[in-house]
Amino acid sequence: MDKENVKKDLFVPAQKDEEKSEQINRPSLSFWQDAWIRLRKNGGAIFGMVTLVLLTLLAIFAPMLTSHGLDDQDLGLSRMPPKVQGLENFQWLGLDGKKSETFEADSVEEAKDLALARFSQDDFSYIEFDVKAEGDGSEDSAEVKAYYDPYADKQVEEYFWFGTDTLGRDLFTRVWIGTRISLMIALIAALIDMLVGVAYGGISGYFGGRVDNIMQRIIEVLVGIPNLVVVILMIMILDPGITAIIIALTITGWTGMARIVRGQVLKLKNQEFVLASQTLGSSNTRILTKHLIPNTVGMIIINTMFTIPNAIFFEAFLSFIGLGLQAPDASLGTLINDGFKALQINPHIMIFPAIVMSLIMIGFNILADGLRDALDPKMRE
Amino acid sequence: MRKSNWLLLVFGLVLTLFLAACGDDTSSDDGEGTEGGAPEQVLNILESAQIPTMDSSQATDAVAFQFLGETMEGLYRLDENAQPQPAIAAGEPEISEDGTEWTIQLRDDAVWSNGDPVTAHDFVFAWRRAVDPATGSEYGPFMMNGVLKNAEAINNNKADVEELGVEAVSDTELHITLEKPIPYFHSLLTFGTFLPLNEAFVTEKGEEYALNSDNLLYNGPFVLIEWDPTGENPEQWTLVKNEDYWDAEKVQLEKINVSVVKERSTAVNLYNTGEVDRAGLSAEYVEKYAGTEDYKTLAEPTLFYLKLNQANEALANKNVRKAIAMSIGKQDLVDVILANGSIPATGAVPENFTSHPETGEDFREINGDLITEDKEAAKEFWAKGLEELGVDSVELGYLGGDSDVAQEMDAYIKDQLEETLEGLTVEVVSVPFEERISRNEKGEYDIQNSGWGPDYLDPNTWLEMWTSTSPYMTNNYDSEEYDTLISEANNELLTEPVKRYENFLKAEKVLMEDAGIAPLYQRSRAYLWRPSVKGVIFNPMGADFTYKHAYIEE
Amino acid sequence: MAKYILKRIGYMLITLFIIATFSFILMKMLPGSPLTAEEKVTEAQREIILEKYGLNDPIPVQYVRYLGNLAQGDLGVSFQMKNQSVTDILMSRAPVSAELGFWALIVGTSLGMLLGLIAAIRQNSWMDYGSNIISVIGISIPSFIFAGLMQFYIGVELELLPIAFWGTPQQAIMPVIALAIFPMAISARFLRTEMIEVLGSDYIVTAKAKGVSKFAIIFKHGLRNALIPLITVMGPMAVSLMTGTLVIEKIFSIPGIGEQFVNSVTTNDFSIIMGTTLFFAFLFIVIILIIDILYGIIDPRIRLAGGKD
Repeated sequence: MDKENVKKDLFVPAQKDEEKSEQINRPSLSFWQDAWIRLRKNGGAIFGMVTLVLLTLLAIFAPMLTSHGLDDQDLGLSRMPPKVQGLENFQWLGLDGKKSETFEADSVEEAKDLALARFSQDDFSYIEFDVKAEGDGSEDSAEVKAYYDPYADKQVEEYFWFGTDTLGRDLFTRVWIGTRISLMIALIAALIDMLVGVAYGGISGYFGGRVDNIMQRIIEVLVGIPNLVVVILMIMILDPGITAIIIALTITGWTGMARIVRGQVLKLKNQEFVLASQTLGSSNTRILTKHLIPNTVGMIIINTMFTIPNAIFFEAFLSFIGLGLQAPDASLGTLINDGFKALQINPHIMIFPAIVMSLIMIGFNILADGLRDALDPKMRE
Repeated sequence: MRKSNWLLLVFGLVLTLFLAACGDDTSSDDGEGTEGGAPEQVLNILESAQIPTMDSSQATDAVAFQFLGETMEGLYRLDENAQPQPAIAAGEPEISEDGTEWTIQLRDDAVWSNGDPVTAHDFVFAWRRAVDPATGSEYGPFMMNGVLKNAEAINNNKADVEELGVEAVSDTELHITLEKPIPYFHSLLTFGTFLPLNEAFVTEKGEEYALNSDNLLYNGPFVLIEWDPTGENPEQWTLVKNEDYWDAEKVQLEKINVSVVKERSTAVNLYNTGEVDRAGLSAEYVEKYAGTEDYKTLAEPTLFYLKLNQANEALANKNVRKAIAMSIGKQDLVDVILANGSIPATGAVPENFTSHPETGEDFREINGDLITEDKEAAKEFWAKGLEELGVDSVELGYLGGDSDVAQEMDAYIKDQLEETLEGLTVEVVSVPFEERISRNEKGEYDIQNSGWGPDYLDPNTWLEMWTSTSPYMTNNYDSEEYDTLISEANNELLTEPVKRYENFLKAEKVLMEDAGIAPLYQRSRAYLWRPSVKGVIFNPMGADFTYKHAYIEE
Repeated sequence: MAKYILKRIGYMLITLFIIATFSFILMKMLPGSPLTAEEKVTEAQREIILEKYGLNDPIPVQYVRYLGNLAQGDLGVSFQMKNQSVTDILMSRAPVSAELGFWALIVGTSLGMLLGLIAAIRQNSWMDYGSNIISVIGISIPSFIFAGLMQFYIGVELELLPIAFWGTPQQAIMPVIALAIFPMAISARFLRTEMIEVLGSDYIVTAKAKGVSKFAIIFKHGLRNALIPLITVMGPMAVSLMTGTLVIEKIFSIPGIGEQFVNSVTTNDFSIIMGTTLFFAFLFIVIILIIDILYGIIDPRIRLAGGKD
């Protein structure tokens, strides 16, 4: 083996250069650049981010694509199924503008009659059939799947991409405006939580002693109140609406953030750089805002990313127990609630807002996971 | 998803084993075994709420009156044509010349479930209890004040309960003295508040009375068992046939199982799996079931309308009110949004409720359609109204309920009004029922979507509340002509049914001509109803249904 | 430790007192009265009835009376359910909700732990991704949607399980699953993170080097230590269960506390709303206390920090 007889003259002593001893060979990366590099490698997080950006763009611009407003009604176009250009021929997608249902009866004829009654039709001009079982005359042996085309029946030229609701309002418009409002509620609630929580936690942790003691007792009491109960009580006494929901969500919501920030500040405040700053005569405000808070930003962001989907969830939950927004305002929660009643008959009314909401939730959750991995200093090499 | 479902299912099975090992199996015995022969006479139904009380003095809502009606028997009971038929009463009442003295003979074979006979004293005790302020009854004073002699004074602590205009002449003879000759008193006697109470039992139980089925006595077609709001299952109870009931041979059902289900979709699912025989339908489900043999609608004499508060300057204008009343597409409202068989309302009294005492013609038929949808006319009235007001735009608040269907309806009405009447802006506020009532009482609304159910079979139940002195008048409608007509009907004309009825007809015309209210629709309910269930009577007031004559057909 | 617990119980009582006061004030601010036939009762009649229930007394008098009764465990009588004691109503419904919540917690956490464990052991395999997807879906879709879909497909279409009500084990399966999804997702995510961290720590490497079997490493050394922090997420889980019962009980017609609470909110039954609020708060505080104490017992570092505090 050659390995063993490597010639010594291959090795040359390195040149010692005083000037270069401090040189940094790898590019200098700030905390954020470093985090971004790690985040970029996380496929899930990128997927989450792209989803959220897309949904936000849609929430802002999609309503402009249609000629319909949030509350433009036409009872003649009540509960139209979704229909999308180019997808009419893919029956299984359910975006062909047809309502389908399976009927069972003793014979195919009887099953077809059931379909007529179901779709309030006098003849078969707008109904197509797909006979699944011919039947032998015994009970419910024949099975027929009927496709009813309300677009042809009502001579509607327009395509309602997400269909319409009971009042004949375009759901595509409503879903995106609802997304806008849900995101807005969640963002404002998260922002307020963040501001109050950071200020409270920062002050409590930095000053310590009696201040900290009193402030912590207050939090301890507040944490004991289940936020569910507070939210419901607040909604009951406030005039229902966006403001009421935001107030209700934030009234005890900030405590989580305050606790996290306090913990971080407690850890950081005795470190050398803070001592140095103190010695140099920085004011408390300066130390808090320029040194301590920036160093907790990672935790703050991660926590906020989890607060946002929680707020969206809670809003939906409130709508479901009847404490949601005022009509004609719509949020994802109220849209899902409206659709839930009709789930078995006109599933499209619920499915689209439910999908959008789930995507938002998934987006925020996996992005938050990714951010946690990216911002967590423990993961730094 | 597929994977997670599969995992869940496996876990569900594991869980079943877990639960089976420690949980006690209380499987129900209902609806089983109809092998051959006659079908089992068991009815399975749902209610949307628990029974709030079984104390007839305290009852105020449909569910309470429903089960009071099944388990208790009053003097009279409504038949399928909504006419009072003798029940505990042995026959029709003897009424004095001036119409204020009623004497009723009671049957002597009616007994309570503890064996005591039902006597005239039981009625005296119950009625006194209902007006006694110490009872704190809501419906007692509402039904009896101004009807039974001295009721109002007693309720206001100004007279002793013994002075109430009812006395037991003997065990089987009841003597009633009225404040004035109320012509609808006969139908009032079928109402739950007028049910008898066994004094010895109620006094003995004290605070415990009617807290659960063990603390109750029955004298009606069925007996309540396993009803206990603080028991193991507060949301299920059972009615079984009362063998001691005086008319027991006419009762065919052996058992009625009742469960509380609040979610409409759950109710429909239960119907589809055959677990219940009836499920209420919301508009969404009507679309699917309307053509089937299980689908049934029941018209109710409950009326919905917009209250137009004349404290508002614009609404004080008659033309503006008319414009509003005429611009709403009521037919679309009932067809698409309600979709339960409701019909557009065109007056202040519903159809199929009372008829002319001589000709037997329906109230609605005689007066016809007084306010109908007419968008062109509405626009004209609107222009005229705006001109009189000297403005070109009006902003109005709209107070509505917060239920799903109410919100949908209010959104529609807002849209209709704003589209038809140029320059009108409607600001809808949806609030919970309690809040709406509270704002109603304070008159804090411009337009309010409101409704009313009848309490007795007389047009007065619909019309008296629109007089300027009525405690229910919050929309500041004040018409001297209207007040006079109603006042005459309730005083001088009490004993002259025909003239009185004509007064009501005239009064309604006045009210509609002034567009004092804007009628919307007369409600109907949509049900999935097992076709084999027969003989259930649907009542216009009091208990919704009577199951006494119901049976299951093969 | 005893001193710490005593101190915590002291705070608990203060919290409860504040909640009682807070909810009392809120109830007084609510519109409407708790009468049931509001529409038909006239002003004068209402006064008579409010008088009878002492609701016309000055508010401080009502407040003192309320606190006095509360101290004796008397939550007053319901207005909707005439004369029924609120304490009795809550006590009859609490076991149902507790049973539902308990099984949801057991099913949720055990299933979640299984998923989390698999994901951690087979990190970055298809199993890991699968488990991640399941748990993300679990926290992203509201439980009432799950409940509605299950009820329709499993109950109506396949007729496998009863659709509603409470009493038999079969009836419990669907609501328990619907309610268990959130705790499942939370514990799966949490356990995965903890487990990966623990498996990377020095003592595990040492154990591996010593030749300890893989099974022993995972279960004896790894899981044991990864499970401890799981206790900290029990608090949020308990909250999610409480929230969940409100909707799940309504959908499946289960006579529990959540269903009663929603009901009272819609009918303005002040005494039940206040009773339930206090009950939830009490339950919540007790759960947090138990978690903290448990944690203190298991992890002495926390106790020290908590004790000093």
